[in-house]
Amino acid sequence: MSDRSTLDWAAEPDSPVPPPTWGRRAPEAQVLPWVFAALVGFLLMGNLLLAPHLTAPALRTWSTIFVAICVQAVPFLVFGVALSAAITTFVPRSLWTRVLPAKPYAAVPVAGAAGVVLPGCECASVPVAAGLMARGVTPAAALAFLLSSPAVNPVVLVATAVAFPGQPGMVVARFAASLAVAVLAGWVWQLLGRPGLLRIPARPEAEGTSRRASFVAAMRHDLLHAGGFLVVGGLTAATLNVVVPRSWLDSVAGDFWLSVLVLAVLAVVLSICSEADAFVAASLTAFSPTAKLAFLVVGPMVDLKLIALQAGTFGRAFAVRFVPLTFTLAVAMSLLAGWLLL
Amino acid sequence: MVAAVNRMAQGLVLTLLGGALLRVSALSTIYLNYVKPGFRPFLIAAGLVVFLLGVHGLVQEWRRPYAPRDKGHDDHGPRVAWLLCLPVVAIFLIAPPALGAFAAGRDEAPQPRPTVASGSYAALTTAGPAAMPLGEFIGRAWGDQHASLKDRQVKLVGFVTASKKRGQWYLTRMQLRCCAADAFPLRVSVLGAPAPRVDTWVEVTGTWVPTPYDRVPKGTVAPEIRADAVIKVAQPDEPYE
Repeated sequence: MSDRSTLDWAAEPDSPVPPPTWGRRAPEAQVLPWVFAALVGFLLMGNLLLAPHLTAPALRTWSTIFVAICVQAVPFLVFGVALSAAITTFVPRSLWTRVLPAKPYAAVPVAGAAGVVLPGCECASVPVAAGLMARGVTPAAALAFLLSSPAVNPVVLVATAVAFPGQPGMVVARFAASLAVAVLAGWVWQLLGRPGLLRIPARPEAEGTSRRASFVAAMRHDLLHAGGFLVVGGLTAATLNVVVPRSWLDSVAGDFWLSVLVLAVLAVVLSICSEADAFVAASLTAFSPTAKLAFLVVGPMVDLKLIALQAGTFGRAFAVRFVPLTFTLAVAMSLLAGWLLL
Repeated sequence: MVAAVNRMAQGLVLTLLGGALLRVSALSTIYLNYVKPGFRPFLIAAGLVVFLLGVHGLVQEWRRPYAPRDKGHDDHGPRVAWLLCLPVVAIFLIAPPALGAFAAGRDEAPQPRPTVASGSYAALTTAGPAAMPLGEFIGRAWGDQHASLKDRQVKLVGFVTASKKRGQWYLTRMQLRCCAADAFPLRVSVLGAPAPRVDTWVEVTGTWVPTPYDRVPKGTVAPEIRADAVIKVAQPDEPYE
C-alpha cells in the first residue's frame, strides 16, 4: 500500500500530517468494482428475465445476423490490430524505408504486391495501413497495401478457387483486377491527393514506457476504434439483410450492365469478409460471371464497414474522395478483366 | 453528447466483450448459432486476448494512485468504442437463437445448385432408413444419375416452414457459407403428413418422390418426400449445415 501514498506525500511537502487522500485510491478506482458488478449483474439478470420475452422473429433474426457478423469478424480484427500494433511497436522505421523504394511511384506497386504475402481481413487492413503511415510509409503506398492485402492474399484466392470449381479464370481475373485497382488507386492518390486530405492517425504513445506497454496501448486503442466501426457496419448489414427482400435482386440479374452495377453495390452493402464473399458470389447463379467478379473485386475494397472505418481513421475528407475513386476503378477493372478472361 | 471513453470504461468495454465471446465459444456451444464449428479455436483465442486486454486495463486503473488528473494528458479512447457494448447486450439480453423460419422465409431465391457434382454420391447400402443431411438429399434428388434415392427410406432432420402449396410443408435447414449473415435455406417439400407448428424441429422418415424433370428445370423446385413418420426432436447442437 505504501507505494500509493508517495505521490500525495510529495505533493505537499510542508504539511505536518499526511493529506486526507493518503492511501486512498483514485475516485474512479473506488467505484470500479461496484460499476463492474452492477454491469455483470444487469447482463446476467437480463439474460434470465428479459431474454425469454424478446422473441419477435424479426428482432431475433436481426440480432442473430448482427451478432454473427461481429463474432465472425472479431478474431480477424484481433489478429489485424495485433499485427498493426506489432508493426508500429517492434518493426524499426528504417525497415520500411529499406524495403520500399524511395520514389512513391515505385513504392506503390511493391506495397501492392506485399499484400499477396500478408493475409489480412479488410477490417484489419485499415489499422495496419494507418500503422504503416504512422511509421513514415508514403500514404499512396500504404493505401495500395490497404486495398490489396484483403483482396489478393492466398487465403482469399484459395477460397475463390473452392467456390468456383473448374473455373480457374475466376481466380486469375480476381487476382489481376484487384491488384490493378490497388496499384492504380495508389498512383492516382499520389498524383492528385493533397497532404491535407489524409489525416494520419496519431497513436497514444507515452514516451519513456516499455515496448510491451506501448504495444498493449496501441492494441487496445486500435481494437476499440476498429471494433466500434465494425459494429456500425454490422448494424447496417443486419438491418438491410432483414429489411430488403432478396427477390428484388434476382429480378435485375437479366440486364448485363445493371447486374454488374447491382452486384457491385450489393458487395458494398453486405460488407462480407473477403474470406467468405466468394461463396456468396458463387451462389448468385442468376448473374453473369463478370457481375460476380465485380462483386469479388469491389467487396474487399469498398463496403459499408470499411467506409466507416476509413472515415473514422483517416478523416471524412479522405473517405469522400477515396471511396468513389476505388469503387469506380474496381468496377472498371472488373469489366476489363471479365471481358479479357471470363 | 456522449462522454469520451476513459481508461476505466475502455477496460470495462473490453472485459465485457471478451467475456461475452468466451461465454458463447469456450463455455457453451452458443457460437454454433452464428458461425461454423471450425471457428471455435479462433473465437476462444480472440475472446481471451480481448478479455485479458480489458482486465489488464482495469487492474492498472485499480492500482493507479490518487492524483489530480492532468487534463491535457488524459488518454481518452474513441467515442465509437461505446458501440462495442451493443453485441454484448444483444448476446445477453436477446440471446439470439439460430436462424429459423423467419430468415428462411425471407429468402425466396431459387435454391443454389448442389455443391457435389452429379452422380458422385455413393450408393446407399445401409439397412433401414438412411440418415443424411438435407443438402445431400437435395443433391441426390437433383443430380444423381443412378437415382440412389429411388424406393429408399431416408431420415432427415430440420425445422418446419410453411409452403404455399396446399397439403405440403417444407422441412428446412439453413446452410452457412461463413457465418449466419450469409445463410441460405435448403428446403425439402414434405407430403402426406399434417404440418407441425412452424419452427418446430422434426425428424422426417420417408421416401423420395421423383419429380418429372422433363417439365421442370433442375434446381428450381424443392425435391419432395412422402413422409411415413414425423417425430419432434430437440434442436441439434449444430443447427446449420
